[in-house]
Amino acid sequence: MSYFSLLTINGLVIGLIYALTAAGLTLIFSVLRVVNFGHGALYMVGGYVSYYAIRYLGLPPLGGVVIAMGALFLFGIAFEMLVMRPVYSDEVERKDEYAIIVTFGLTILLSNLAIVVFGPFSKSPPPFMAGTLILGPIVLPYDRLIAALVAIALLCATTWFLARTTLGQALDAVSQSRESAAVIGINPRRMCTIAFGLGSALAGGAGALIAPIFALSPSMGDLPVVQAFIIIVIGGMGSVGGSIIGGILLGLAQSLGVGYLPDPNRALAYTQAFGALLLIITLLLRPTGLFGRAHLRLE
Amino acid sequence: MMRAATSSGKPAAVWVQAILLLFALLLPLWGGAYWVHVGALLWYYALLASSWALLAGFAGQFSFAHMAFAALGGYTSALIVLHMGISYLPAAIAAGIVLAMVVGALIGFMVLRLSGPYLALFTLAISEVFRMMLMAEEQITRGSLGLQVPRFFSGDSDVPYYYLGLALVAGSLLFMGFLLRTRIGLFLRAIREDEDATRASGVNTTRYKILVFVVTSGIASMAGIYYAHFIGILTPNMLILPEMGIVIAMAVIGGIESLPGAVIGAAIVYLLSEALREYGELRFVLLGLALILVQRFARNGLFPLIERIGRRPAPARADTTAKSTAEKSHAS
Repeated sequence: MSYFSLLTINGLVIGLIYALTAAGLTLIFSVLRVVNFGHGALYMVGGYVSYYAIRYLGLPPLGGVVIAMGALFLFGIAFEMLVMRPVYSDEVERKDEYAIIVTFGLTILLSNLAIVVFGPFSKSPPPFMAGTLILGPIVLPYDRLIAALVAIALLCATTWFLARTTLGQALDAVSQSRESAAVIGINPRRMCTIAFGLGSALAGGAGALIAPIFALSPSMGDLPVVQAFIIIVIGGMGSVGGSIIGGILLGLAQSLGVGYLPDPNRALAYTQAFGALLLIITLLLRPTGLFGRAHLRLE
Repeated sequence: MMRAATSSGKPAAVWVQAILLLFALLLPLWGGAYWVHVGALLWYYALLASSWALLAGFAGQFSFAHMAFAALGGYTSALIVLHMGISYLPAAIAAGIVLAMVVGALIGFMVLRLSGPYLALFTLAISEVFRMMLMAEEQITRGSLGLQVPRFFSGDSDVPYYYLGLALVAGSLLFMGFLLRTRIGLFLRAIREDEDATRASGVNTTRYKILVFVVTSGIASMAGIYYAHFIGILTPNMLILPEMGIVIAMAVIGGIESLPGAVIGAAIVYLLSEALREYGELRFVLLGLALILVQRFARNGLFPLIERIGRRPAPARADTTAKSTAEKSHAS
């Protein structure tokens, strides 16, 4: 029983981190109509920013998360303004491809820059809090507990922000119709910039939260970004709530799959393949995803 | 670069291609073993970049599964030779190409309804599932340990591989160039610009979308088979995302809407990355930067800039982009 609860709790923690990554990706997709193929690199950079902030500025681990989110927010805004701009004009004929290529270029750029600057070897920031919580059958290291709680707080804050604040509603309006939003006085370009910044900040925050649990490495974003792609497709492109549910379910499925399938080596490979297979099937049968919003339907 | 006389009225481009072809033919005379080896590997990337340019640049099917087709061809041919004996090599090569073309048709059929980011994510998932299968089924593929593959030619020299690769690149460029000059090329570009309008004009878009997947998958598998029997070892690393990234960068930097451009892009990227080997990962930082900058400021890549030399400052559009509706209506 305790084996099951251990797997479940680990799956939940990983699932929450996935959800956070995917929520950022979804936010960018719903407003800009662009899949950010550089999301995994932003996640990785978030982890490193947090590490160096803790190491050299002497901040507490949670302060590192805040710094990482702030830094990635600014980076996202700068990247959007410098590189993503042509997507909104007639300067580019095929906007989807333009966006895929430049964001994928960002991945190549950042992940190799990380190898040059940070070195290819993994680093480990200090834990949020040493020790382990033991509650009956539940065994949970405190750093995982704190990562999970912060992730929940960030997800709630994102949901609240999108639903209840003027800026969040303006973002939602742009995601529904750029033209109509412009008619009622919302500047769609500015909303796109903000959405990219916020999405990047969420990726950076997720990277900073996972850093003390798993080690940091320049390729740490490669796997989570594929999971995030899977989640946003299954959860419905553009639905933040869907990506939260999708993220938690995927984290659970993977954790239990690796734990219970025979032959651990194969189980690891096939639980990852399982998610990708879900993506393939979802796109073939129900391209709007399980929680898709009608206005973001596949065109 | 081998596609001489792409069209009249572009003297600079024809001369550039002819000079580069001559250079490529003569390189083994003075290049030395190292550069012959580099050149032979370059042809692998050139095959992939040019066929991906046809798929993504001309037909607008932005696929991340291109390396998976190379791996499918390579592994199929290698496994058949390993189990049946080297005398079955021709059959193994044919099987690899045919299998890739069949799977290409299947994927082309599955993605008929998908476009843009959905197509990219779909093909990315296909490629990852295939890579994980190659990793996991160790009894068959030997996983990340690598599958030892018999080479095409006995002896240590890479010169035969170099000329074989060059012939494959030249042959497939001629074939794809021919395809694009027929009305199929026009239909593919029309599908890229506006699929609904193309279908409304009476073009069977389904047929041509599947066709372009079949052709490009076949060429990618040929590249993979060439690579397998040249390098002599296959690992699932062949289809990791950074490898696909290099091929995309090659095609985009050279010119995604030009087949010789993609080959020139492959040459620039691969030769530079070999020449600057001492700089390590910094080369790929520059590659990522170059990819973003080219896409941001010179969207059709570098080759059209070469083409433009010696031409009058004519209309700004490259000949491969059919933007105006007037051009589009040719498809009907």
